[in-house]
Formats: sequence, structure tokens, C-alpha cells
Amino acid sequence: MGELRAGERVRVRAGDPAGHTRVPRYVRGQIGRIVESQGSWALADEVAAGVAEPRVEPVYTVAFAAADLWGEGDHEVTVDLWESYIEPVRKDET
Amino acid sequence: MSGEHTSAPVAARVRRLEERLIEAGVVGEEQLDAALAAMLKGASPVNGARIVARAWVDEGFRARLLDDANAALPEVGLSMAGGIQEQRLKVVENTETAHHVIVCTLCSCYPIGLLGPSPSWYKSEAYRSRVVREPRAVLAEFGLELPADTAVTVWDSSAESRYLVLPRRPDGTAGMSEPELAALVTREGLIGTAAV
Amino acid sequence: MSRVNDVGGQTGFGALEIEADEPPFHADWEARVFALNSVLVRNGVYRLDEFRDAVERMDPQEYLATSYYERWLKAIETLLAERKVLADG
Repeated sequence: MGELRAGERVRVRAGDPAGHTRVPRYVRGQIGRIVESQGSWALADEVAAGVAEPRVEPVYTVAFAAADLWGEGDHEVTVDLWESYIEPVRKDET
Repeated sequence: MSGEHTSAPVAARVRRLEERLIEAGVVGEEQLDAALAAMLKGASPVNGARIVARAWVDEGFRARLLDDANAALPEVGLSMAGGIQEQRLKVVENTETAHHVIVCTLCSCYPIGLLGPSPSWYKSEAYRSRVVREPRAVLAEFGLELPADTAVTVWDSSAESRYLVLPRRPDGTAGMSEPELAALVTREGLIGTAAV
Repeated sequence: MSRVNDVGGQTGFGALEIEADEPPFHADWEARVFALNSVLVRNGVYRLDEFRDAVERMDPQEYLATSYYERWLKAIETLLAERKVLADG
């Protein structure tokens, strides 16, 4: 996956890993919008699992509409997600 | 809810653990004392208030702070290297039409190295569960009622960035000095659960 | 599986309890646990994400019945035991 740009849409992978992860369950499977890149950081899942040289990946701030997450609300929630946690969404996908 | 334990047995358990770790050479007694002293002395909401006051009086600093907070902090004698590891700081600015509020739903991430420990309510399940879902109701419990047309953004600190809210400068403060302005800023204002 | 710490959006935790003029710590031992954890991470005994993992692995009933810094203490004890940092006893 190349560098994602502000405004691009991504879907959060819906997996439910057995160990430590930093994907809150309330965004799993949800579509959000890239706000910005935060640079690259060691993947928390691998650090927590004791991997000696954990993958270093881009982390993105991703914004979600409250109405999508909860079915109500006019606010936005942003979540900071490692690249492994998300996948691009095709333009025609909803 | 810590009703099953009174404080004294826990304190003894902590002291015993420290002694055993010192005895085994895993940590140094001076090292522990120094970490404790540095944290109690250096990290405080006063740091956040100073950042905010500078941003209110210095437009250039405000722009640099919002663009790259880590690079701007040394201008006020601060850095993000005070915690366990250097983290990225992201400052989000409240405006007439936008309000920001910070949370960590998975644990309790907070710019501790800069501001000191977060308040208990910030770490509570009640705040962490609710603020992402009904921020306006949560803010109202703090006495902060936002106009219906104010856009609310909740920032869930789920990775390596830590967040700080830049509140709006209150009306009627035009003549105030930077230290006077800093004295207006509260810890809640820096989290986004108060206006200032 | 989703863990007990992952509470975003859940209901049932009630109203906020906001303490006016709350001090950084409520007891000396809380500050000592805080400092001890930072030194253990700095000394390379474990990493911060391993610490978070150890907090999350607590029994859910125990997690919810335990105060914040007692969870920290429990996680430190768990990690030290798993790594056999200290002799038994």
C-alpha cells in the first residue's frame, strides 16, 4: 500500500486478533477518511508480542462519522491506525 | 473501586517489590528516586497553560505549534522527551465553529511527560466509553454546553501521538500579560472538557 | 478477542465522577508505582506495549474491581514473574 493522502477513504480490517492490538472494536469494519500521516512507528501488536524487530509502519489519523459508528450523532471521532489495520476503499464502494 | 484493599497493604507491597528489584540490581534506588522527583517536578498542566498562552499572544508560534508541535515546544523551553519515550504531540485548535476533545478508549494515553498524570475521570471507563459516542452529553456533565452548530471532534489516542487542545482565548483578555493568560488555562481546557 | 480494556462506545458505565482540584496522585505508593514502571521500561526489562498487554490480560472481573495504579502494580508483578526477573519468594 503506497502512502495514503488526506481525504482518501479506508476501511478498518474486521479481524479480532488474539493478542494486544490498538484497533478499538468500535471502528472494526468501518469506513473512515485519512486526516494525516503521523510518520512511521513500530507496530504495537508485534512489540507487545515480544517480536525483537517489530515492523515499522506508517500510522494514520483516520476520521469516522459518528452516524456511521453509532447510527446517530453529528460529531466525528478520529482514531490513529497503523497501516496493517486498514485497507483502501474503491471509489465506487460504499 | 479499590474497596478490597486499603492503601497500607498496597504501599507495603510496592515497597517490598522496590527492595527486591534494587537488591537484584534490576533498578537503582537513586534511579527510582530521581525518576519520581523528575516527574513530580517537571510534568504539570502549567506546561500546557504556558504553551496555550504563548500561542494566544504570538501568531507565529501558534502556526508553528499547530504545524509541528514537537518542533515548536523548545521555543517555550519544553519538549516531549520527558516521558518514557519521545512521542509525537498533536495540538488541535478550538475555534468559533469547532471544538476538540481528547480521549484514549483503550487505556489512558495522555501527554504525561508534559502535563503530569491525567485526572481519574480521564482514565475511567465511564469517560472512555461515553465520550466517543455522546461527547455533547459528556461535555455537558462538565458544565460545557456547546452550540448545536459547533462541529465536535473526539480524538482517540490509539497509537503513538498524544493530543493537546488549544482553547479559544476568552473575550475581555486583550490587556492581559502572557503569565496572566496562562493562569486562566485549566487541565480540563487542555483536554477539551472545559472552554479554557 | 476483544479485551476488557476496549470500552469505547460501550454503555453501562454510568455517570462521570469528577473530583475537584484532584492531586496528581492520591497516595505516595501510586507515584512510586508510576516511577517504577518508567524505570523498568527505561532499563529494558520490558517494553511499554508489553506492559499494556499485561494490564489487558488481567482477569476481566479483577480488572474492573481494581483501581488504576493497582492494575499497574499487578501488570508489573506479572511481567517480572513471567521473565523470572526475581527469584521466587
